[in-house]
Amino acid sequence: MKALSSITLAIIGICFAVPLLWLVLASVDAQPSLSVKIPEVFTLDNFGQVLTPSLTFVPLMNSVILSGGCAVLTVVLAILAAYPLSRYRMRITKPFLYGVLFGTCLPITAMMVPVYSLFVQLNLIDSLPGTIFFMAATSLPMAIWMMKNFMDSVPVSLEEAAWVDGASSMKTLARIVVPLMRPGIAVVFIFVFIQAWGNFFVPFVLLLSPDKQPAAVSIFNFFGANGAVAYGQLAAYSIVYSLPVLALYVLISRGLGGSSALAGAVKG
Amino acid sequence: MRTIPLLPATVLLAVFLLGPILSSFYGSFTDSSLSGSAAAGSKFIGFDNYSALFADPDFPTAVILTLLFVIGSAVIGQNVLGLGLALLMRSSGRLVRSVVGTFVVAAWVLPEIVAAFASYAFYRDTGTANSFLALFGIAGPSWLYVFPMLVVILANTWRGTAFSMLVYSAALADVPDEIQEAAEMDGANGWKRLRLVTLPMIRQSIATNAMITTLQTLSVFTLIFVMTGGGPGVQSTTLPLLAYQEAFKFGQLGFGTAIATIMLLVGAIFSIFYIRALRTDLE
Amino acid sequence: MKRRLAAGLAVALSAALALSACSASSDSSAEPKTIKVAYQTTATFNQMQNLMAAAKSQYEKAHPGVTIELVPIQGESADYYTKLALMNQSAATAPDVQYEDTFKIQSDAAAGYLLPLDDKLAGWADYSQFAAGAKSAGLGADGKTYGVSLGTDTRALWYNKDLFAKAGITVPWEPKTWADVLKAASTIKAKLPDVIPFNVYSGKAAGEAASLQGFQMLLYGTKDTLYDTSSKKWVTGSQGFKDSLKFVQDVYQGGLGPTPQQALDPNIFTNVTAEWLPKSQLAIALDGSWQSAAWIPTGTNPWPEWSTVLSQAPMPTQLGDAPGVNSMSGGWTLAVGAKTKAPNLAFDFLTTALNQENSKSYDIGNSQIAVRNDVATDPEYTAANPSFGFFSSLVANTHFRAATEDYAQISNAITVAMEAVMTGQQSVDDAAAAYDQAVVGIVGQDGTQSAN
Repeated sequence: MKALSSITLAIIGICFAVPLLWLVLASVDAQPSLSVKIPEVFTLDNFGQVLTPSLTFVPLMNSVILSGGCAVLTVVLAILAAYPLSRYRMRITKPFLYGVLFGTCLPITAMMVPVYSLFVQLNLIDSLPGTIFFMAATSLPMAIWMMKNFMDSVPVSLEEAAWVDGASSMKTLARIVVPLMRPGIAVVFIFVFIQAWGNFFVPFVLLLSPDKQPAAVSIFNFFGANGAVAYGQLAAYSIVYSLPVLALYVLISRGLGGSSALAGAVKG
Repeated sequence: MRTIPLLPATVLLAVFLLGPILSSFYGSFTDSSLSGSAAAGSKFIGFDNYSALFADPDFPTAVILTLLFVIGSAVIGQNVLGLGLALLMRSSGRLVRSVVGTFVVAAWVLPEIVAAFASYAFYRDTGTANSFLALFGIAGPSWLYVFPMLVVILANTWRGTAFSMLVYSAALADVPDEIQEAAEMDGANGWKRLRLVTLPMIRQSIATNAMITTLQTLSVFTLIFVMTGGGPGVQSTTLPLLAYQEAFKFGQLGFGTAIATIMLLVGAIFSIFYIRALRTDLE
Repeated sequence: MKRRLAAGLAVALSAALALSACSASSDSSAEPKTIKVAYQTTATFNQMQNLMAAAKSQYEKAHPGVTIELVPIQGESADYYTKLALMNQSAATAPDVQYEDTFKIQSDAAAGYLLPLDDKLAGWADYSQFAAGAKSAGLGADGKTYGVSLGTDTRALWYNKDLFAKAGITVPWEPKTWADVLKAASTIKAKLPDVIPFNVYSGKAAGEAASLQGFQMLLYGTKDTLYDTSSKKWVTGSQGFKDSLKFVQDVYQGGLGPTPQQALDPNIFTNVTAEWLPKSQLAIALDGSWQSAAWIPTGTNPWPEWSTVLSQAPMPTQLGDAPGVNSMSGGWTLAVGAKTKAPNLAFDFLTTALNQENSKSYDIGNSQIAVRNDVATDPEYTAANPSFGFFSSLVANTHFRAATEDYAQISNAITVAMEAVMTGQQSVDDAAAAYDQAVVGIVGQDGTQSAN
């Protein structure tokens, strides 16, 4: 039984690994094709060509600022919003959660034109903070939804004791609830961060200066004006671009001791 | 008083999301355009965009393809495979479990454009899938051309399963062992145990997870755009691709936002369905 | 909010018009001293970046106190147009000078994004150096000039001399009719079964390349046309349209082209430029003059032997009727934004960016056909690339797109018709009828006229 399921699992795992393997092999191949193959001529040239300040380092730095800022802002606002939704019986809870739920399936791309005019009126075009605000707004619905579910699983009894001692609700939130739901917060953080990291269209539209553009915009460079794609460089850039999120994921999941933290997000 | 902590999030949502949504919705009743004379001053045209949309033969195709994509890759692909992986992991060796888990999660963590490009390379006629089939003397088809929907569904399953797998692993870990054992004592076999004991226990997780993955899958654009461009013909043009083509390729913003409004409706229908399934959750 | 935006737009527009009207005396002393220049850049297209950086430093040196602010937009064409249109919708972000595709000029001029330049061009001596065709490519629907050409491109048949020799076809190859082209392709198919005989871009995936490099290269070589420029109506029901579709059908259904699968791959361009041509897997390609830009040492796919392996032949007209050959041209311009507060300064900068030296280095670096006579005849230019002489000679018989506001949608309808016949889903007559119906749907019955 154990052997059978191990083998089945391994086969599925190979199916998941092969497309990834292509990225790795093509990035060190002097003449990459579209199929997985051992490079005939091994080279690091592709990495050499993409590892320049304007192609890689500046955009990655911007990605960190945008995704990090967006994730932090989203998490803070989502915790604050989740608290009353989870703890009090209010008339607005239900409509608010429904509204938020519909927000999760918004086709953001289709709305970018009014968003642009809004940003012009608010004088936020080409502003990193402005872009962070917008990206946070788009990820908030899902974050609030997940955060409320996490918070529901933290027992109220602990807070009640603190209330009796005269602590305000904000104080109990900060001192008692937040520390108890650290794993949940980490999950929401990484979830938001990963989505922001891959977001191309929003920063492309809202930022003008090339030195503020994130890596998601830079990678589209490799798809060429006249259509000529350099596969090796694209693969190398893909790896460089993906490493930070992979590293962050490993870091956070190590800190949480595995994936069990996700449980609370959906238990409801 | 109690609602004060809700305020910052509400303000941010109202300013940056609600405003543009209302504006988009209004735009779907105008001939607003990116270029051309309509860009110099758009005018209200009532339901013209919607009637043009319903008369467009590509539109029903796009709705059907979108449903196919969501049901195929989110409901069946990610959820069933995710649950399957979670179950297999419980009964597999530790090493296999952690190695496979790493690969599955890596596909999820990858930025969408990178995942899309890796999938494109995998399924192209000279790509890895066909190189593999060639080992057995099978000349593989041009996947992206002959089975465009199947291929984007497989790719989106590959990319998104990790989330469901993590959720279900966690949910299964919470099912008390005693219940499992009790069922075993009663002589229930593996499948029966799963159907009668385990699944009902994690019903809530299944419904919520299905909803999250559905809503996320509904607006998938980059993956399909890079792999097939919506083609051949319109055979993989889902609603987001149709909206993009009309709004940005042809510059017809009003028409494009009309499609976006329809997408919201589709999302709402799915949501209502799942909320019904969740029933008590929002009470 | 939309209405407020529209109102703001109108105010800004009329202000800009008033400004340009009273400042036609080319007095820029009262204008702001900073201008914004927007243009496209990608990892494989840095020539515009180079041109603008050079022009900026030249201009700022010659005019102390003036600041040229460069706003490069990283992204492929569709994204570039979107971003540029958005920037142009707001006075606060509208660029003063912009890199503008010739086929967007009519549409963007109608949108009120571009400033007419006729008064200013009258005072610029260099403008007499520009070829007539290039000048007309900068015209709006109202007959005013909105863009000044950076260079153009032409399209023709590239062919592989080695493969031709192996197949026993005489080189240099000089096809006189469409039938000659198909005959050569058939010969290659018979003699060299592993080679793709002939590529014509076709279908929705190839998009504008299918419409322009493929279909219109054919149609403009028949007795018919796509758009009647005098009556300003789109032509329906023409025999030339059907004959062009028939040619596409012959190529694909006759096995003379790539498989439909290969042709409908969204990345077909990379396959042609980076794989099929350099690896001698493709014998004849109906393609653009810029192809060699990828193969020169600074290109994305350096291929030193390209100029000895490949040669070029003009695309013949259908039956060899005068002028015997056909070509289509596109190309990009520099334009001044309608919302600029410094129209004279912006135009003055444009003349620096497009002077003889700058035009020359741009045209060489980007494998462009020179549109300035003093560049086209410059020995440094003609010696820079062995294919320049050939492609420049096509300019005499070239056509420009009917780039009206509706062009993008019409062009899409063309690719739909091409795809239907190449895959065998529709007959030529059915596909042509479907196209006619689509055109009526786009421009209305009034916007069309029957070919008969």
